[in-house]
Amino acid sequence: MSEKTLATKPRSDVVVLRPSRGWTTLNLRDLWVYRELVYFLTWRDVKVRYKQTVLGALWAILQPLLNMIVLTVIFGNLAKMATDNIPRPIFTFTALLPWGLFSKALSDAGRSMLASRAMITKVYFPRLIIPLASVMGGVVDFVIQLGILLIMMVYFKITPTSAIWTLPFFLLLALITALGFGLWLSALNVLYRDVGYIIPFLTQTWLLVTPVGYSVKAIPAQWQLVYALNPMVGVVEGFRWALLGTQNPPWAVLAVSVLISLTLLISGMYYFRRMERTFADMV
Amino acid sequence: MNSPIASEFLGGGAARPARDGEAIRLVQASVRYRVPHERIGTFKEYLILWLQRKVKHHTFWALKDVSLEVRQGEAFGLIGQNGAGKSTLLKLVARVLRPTSGRVWVKGRVAPLLEIGAGFHPELTGRENVYLNGAMLGFTRQEMDARFDHIVDFAELWDFIDAPLRAYSSGMWARLGFAVAIDAEPQILIVDEILSVGDEAFQRKSLARIQGFQEQGVTILLVSHNMGVIESLCQRAAWLDHGRLQAIGEAREVIRAYRQSQPG
Repeated sequence: MSEKTLATKPRSDVVVLRPSRGWTTLNLRDLWVYRELVYFLTWRDVKVRYKQTVLGALWAILQPLLNMIVLTVIFGNLAKMATDNIPRPIFTFTALLPWGLFSKALSDAGRSMLASRAMITKVYFPRLIIPLASVMGGVVDFVIQLGILLIMMVYFKITPTSAIWTLPFFLLLALITALGFGLWLSALNVLYRDVGYIIPFLTQTWLLVTPVGYSVKAIPAQWQLVYALNPMVGVVEGFRWALLGTQNPPWAVLAVSVLISLTLLISGMYYFRRMERTFADMV
Repeated sequence: MNSPIASEFLGGGAARPARDGEAIRLVQASVRYRVPHERIGTFKEYLILWLQRKVKHHTFWALKDVSLEVRQGEAFGLIGQNGAGKSTLLKLVARVLRPTSGRVWVKGRVAPLLEIGAGFHPELTGRENVYLNGAMLGFTRQEMDARFDHIVDFAELWDFIDAPLRAYSSGMWARLGFAVAIDAEPQILIVDEILSVGDEAFQRKSLARIQGFQEQGVTILLVSHNMGVIESLCQRAAWLDHGRLQAIGEAREVIRAYRQSQPG
């Protein structure tokens, strides 16, 4: 047969299934073999999302713009909080980029395991791919929004700083935080359906303790490090620093953010792997 | 004879693999489902019940101490009534489930034809779904490019391949799923009542394809309520009843024993 010429994957190894006890290994090799599935599931989510709406991909732009208007009115016109001499729409929109990515990733990842029930109970693949793909789905929106931001910056005559090359790092930090937390939520949501109801409340509250609508300078100096325990503080401040040059690079805050994010990710991965064996029964 | 120490999932060098010539080996494999008496859906309910020590689980063994070997290149049938544990056994081999106790060795690439088209999305076109499903089986895009024509040929769906799947009839949906799964160059093929897919012509074609695999030396694990299919395809068979192995051996003999046990 003609298929004989096709390369067969190096998966003719013997697979041993045994009852899993305690903390299993992460089995990252398996994840690598299935890397294409991450791409396809991400692409499917994006495509389906926009296919079903009237405005389609326009939503990627409208959502943060509407958020920007609301936050500008609340924190600017009502609370009158300072923006480090940056035009408020830009100041807010820059922060909404990573924030939107994060909050969407969190709620999508949290729901992802239950939404993929049909696949989980029928086919084997590393389950970690499901929340991973739902986190990656937001990156497409992010890129569109970044384009809008750059247009806005031209309009407001703001040149990006030379630190703009650090932006991918802050994007990565946002993704790691989202994935770490998303892994916890997605696994917990399989066990307790309550989690699905907590997530909207969680992201709402989280928005208020993240300097999206206001500047991090509004927080008293002695509370800065405690405040930085929220890893999104480092991400948002990093974005403003890299694009707008708001202040000195927030090194101390960043160090704390990176540490917290990595802890979230690693613990999330282990917890997810540990719960994985029960998923096929419980979703 | 099995080391209970190593605990990783993929065998590697840690555990003794199946013996030469074996594709699948189960050693006292058991699967227990825990079903709470009342569905405890929320953390609060669980907490209250747990504090009152009232979390009662009704446990039942979907599979209990089943030991069997399937040789490479063999067609092996599984028979038994509904709820006997046949599908649970298939899910073990497909890696969807893990044994609660015991061991399962699987050697080779498994193509699970459990419920075909499980990962299909109705909003995507047939073409997109073929690639997505391929990725789920572990194939890269390039590999799927090379397979694509063959898959659509087999499914006979060229006219609809760029239409969204929601426009498909259930038979077309199943045909596409079957075509993707069966094209996966498996070393072990898991077939769960698959021969009820599509119309009679397609069923004949599917059966011919499975027989073709058999001639190529692919190991086949087949579940069917159709004893005729089992008898004509399989050399050996096992009869499961309430999760326990009742009989194993030559297909004809096992079927006879099963039939004799049935009232009427």
